[in-house]
Amino acid sequence: MCRLRVDWLVRHVLGLLAVVAGGLVLVIVWYLFQGAKPALESGLPRRFFGDPEWQPGSVRDPQYGLVPMLAGSFLVTVFATALATPLGIAGAVFYQFYVPARVSRWNLRCMELLAGMPAVVLGFWGLMVVVPAISRLEPPGQSLLAAALVLALMILPIIALTSQAALSAVPLSHLQAAAGLGIGRAGMIWNIALPAAKGGIGSGVLLALARAIGETLVVVMLCGNIAQIPGSVFDPIRPVTSTIALEMGYATASHKALLYAGGLILVLVIGLLVGGLSFRRKPNHNTVH
Amino acid sequence: MAISSVPKTNAPPPGTAGISVRDLSVHYGNFEALKDVNLSIEAGLVTALVGPSGCGKSSFLHSLNRLTDLVPGCKVKGSVRFGNGGESCGPGVDVLALRRRVGMVFQKPNPFPQSIRRNFEIPLREHGVRRKEISEVIEKCLRDVGLWDEVSDRLDRSAMALSGGQQQRLCIARALALDPDVILFDEPCSALDPMASAVVEEHIAALRGRITVAIVTHNLAQARRISDRVAVFWIRNGSGTIIEHGPTKEVFSNPVDPSSRCYLEGGCG
Amino acid sequence: MTSLISSRFTTRRSRVQDWLFGGIGAIASLVTLGALGWILADLVKMGLPHLSVEFFTADMKSAGREGGIGPMIVSTFLILVCFLFPAIPLGVGCAFWLSEYVQGGSRIARAVTGGVDLLASVPSIVFGLFGMSFFCQVLGLGFSILSGGLTLTCMVLPILVRTTLSAMTSLPPDLRPAAGALGLTRATTLWQILLPAALPGIMIGITLGVGRALAETAALLFTSGYSTRWPESIHDSGRAISVHIYDLAMNIPNGGGKASASALVLLLMILAINLVASLLADRCLKSQYIS
Ligand SMILES: Nc1ncnc2c1ncn2[C@@H]1O[C@H](COP(=O)(O)OP(=O)(O)O)[C@@H](O)[C@H]1O
Ligand SMILES: [Mg+2]
Repeated sequence: MCRLRVDWLVRHVLGLLAVVAGGLVLVIVWYLFQGAKPALESGLPRRFFGDPEWQPGSVRDPQYGLVPMLAGSFLVTVFATALATPLGIAGAVFYQFYVPARVSRWNLRCMELLAGMPAVVLGFWGLMVVVPAISRLEPPGQSLLAAALVLALMILPIIALTSQAALSAVPLSHLQAAAGLGIGRAGMIWNIALPAAKGGIGSGVLLALARAIGETLVVVMLCGNIAQIPGSVFDPIRPVTSTIALEMGYATASHKALLYAGGLILVLVIGLLVGGLSFRRKPNHNTVH
Repeated sequence: MAISSVPKTNAPPPGTAGISVRDLSVHYGNFEALKDVNLSIEAGLVTALVGPSGCGKSSFLHSLNRLTDLVPGCKVKGSVRFGNGGESCGPGVDVLALRRRVGMVFQKPNPFPQSIRRNFEIPLREHGVRRKEISEVIEKCLRDVGLWDEVSDRLDRSAMALSGGQQQRLCIARALALDPDVILFDEPCSALDPMASAVVEEHIAALRGRITVAIVTHNLAQARRISDRVAVFWIRNGSGTIIEHGPTKEVFSNPVDPSSRCYLEGGCG
Repeated sequence: MTSLISSRFTTRRSRVQDWLFGGIGAIASLVTLGALGWILADLVKMGLPHLSVEFFTADMKSAGREGGIGPMIVSTFLILVCFLFPAIPLGVGCAFWLSEYVQGGSRIARAVTGGVDLLASVPSIVFGLFGMSFFCQVLGLGFSILSGGLTLTCMVLPILVRTTLSAMTSLPPDLRPAAGALGLTRATTLWQILLPAALPGIMIGITLGVGRALAETAALLFTSGYSTRWPESIHDSGRAISVHIYDLAMNIPNGGGKASASALVLLLMILAINLVASLLADRCLKSQYIS
């Protein structure tokens, strides 16, 4: 019964691999939690929201205010999503209903190209082109606006691709019914197609939002990296992700614990967003992203 | 339609085995698909299993070679014995060896999406046939189903490029390659066009006397043509069961059960 | 669809609306595609003059303002090897187990797929943080190509699992009973029948994963390190092309030209990878038509 033994072995080896793959996220979260523990225990959490500034490395008077960074993350994410959402949806409607499929396919290719564009390349381009342009309007140029503009470009293809997929999944019979009633193309899009695709489009926007919160490279290159609550879109900011990227190289002790805490916050927020999404979706309707 | 005229044997030919099924029931979760099935499938003969869709014919076949094991939540109870062998239903049976003795051909032709040769090699190697002997077995089995002359020059091309009828004959040949005692056919012709169907039917009929055959078919004329015994399945009290069985001629000419009379005469079902 | 919905008989108001919708959509599309074209044009304009054979083979000089990216190409390649080596068995094995050995709805299957999906949502900088302290410090691998590769394994694993899983579930369902009826073990069925049939789909997953890994910077910043020397082993620190672009852009004044050239190289690599993936996808479709 050698064959059965091989069979047994294969089953258990694969099972082990699966448990490792599925458990990895727990290991990471546990690890972050362990790393963040000193920061959670030593009475710091009160200072996260009490301290006005972020100076964790200072020896004489360390300041642990997280609020500017959380505000930075929030603002840049919401701003970028607000820019990308109308553009993405309008483009999807255009290519789904106004343009022949042949042309539409080329647009799809371009969106995939944009989606696959490395963040560092986008950030570099932003630094070369967008930042100087903004600094001509209002220095220094590296600002909430610069980061949000390029970040919007980065998440736009996510919204466009999911929206178009959702629109193309609207049953043709619904559209035929509308056409049969003499409803024009615009009315049909507004009253039939968009409401029917609402769920899919919403998922796409949330996915893009999740992606934007976690994005590091574009932000670290373009936002100016000053931990403050910005007074205008031309002010520099410093979101959580870029704080981690900039400081993890040298942080020690409680400063390092704070970075873990920041990572933990990111994971929890994004996990809740994405987890809520898959909960909302029908169970056996999983797609690859 | 020429049917090979193998004499009906009384003593089972060597290498074949009858099947005796006692009190078989099949559950899918809480749903009882088959209940109280009793049937003796005689060695070396062709037994046709007929009845309306959904009355558990496929479930019956699958419980004979334990393919029901692959269905999560499926429970089989009762007794199944092949020839003089031991109980093959229940735990502790060498299922892989059982499936080697009991071949199966499905409704939809299902060659592996690889070359024709690999379709034979994979199961033969699995059952320990030596590499040298494999070509010989392939040729013999493909000749048995009349496919050798059609495919001998493209054994290394994809089996998926064959026509439906050829694919089905390939599947029969692949089942024959393991030298089984019994072959179970689950509506083997119903996915084929009439011409291909006639060819496949001819080759099934030619197995009579060599191998025990159980064949599910919706084609009553076909059952009449190729079978020695027939069993009629029907749904009673929500579960499938056998309502009538016996020699084909008798059952067709003089069915006892009113439902099966109605069904065999084409009135209902 | 477009022909079906002719606007010939609509009223004047709806014709205005139609124009409005089309106009807004066209503008949105122009903005998006314009930005993409702008980026590509800038990269080509700034980078193309620097591209030459030496750029691919030569050492870096003057902190990156001069010379080539030879060591970075080698490092990137080695990082990919270190990433694929554990990622393929882990990702493909996990998907095999999910599709062949457990029921989709069972608790353990849901837990594993849930874990993998959550892993997909972890931002890359967090993988960098984890990799730096776990692989580099706790496991003592230091800033090395190996650490970087392992960090990428964690990050890209969900893509491999998901694509392999969808390749497995889109196989013809009757292969499994066909194999079972011939008395094949599950292991044989998996290796000899299902794996060959799902291979193009699995390859798509691997190429997508490689594309993702090539584009990644944040997870590599503090795992594979900054060293610009030619790596001699996977235990050396090595700078990936993406990290090189980051460094040139952020820390080296006048590094823009070489950075554009490097970005162009990276982009071409990713395009090539995507091309391979779409060719494979075509083959997948075709083989489905035959069966
Ligand atoms: N895998 C399964 N899970 C649940 N119910 C099943 C399954 N297979 C068959 N059944 C049910 O068992 C009954 C018998 O099915 P089947 O054996 O396929 O009948 P037949 O082959 O005679 O048409 C049907 O009611 C069918 O719905
Ligand atoms: Mg059936």
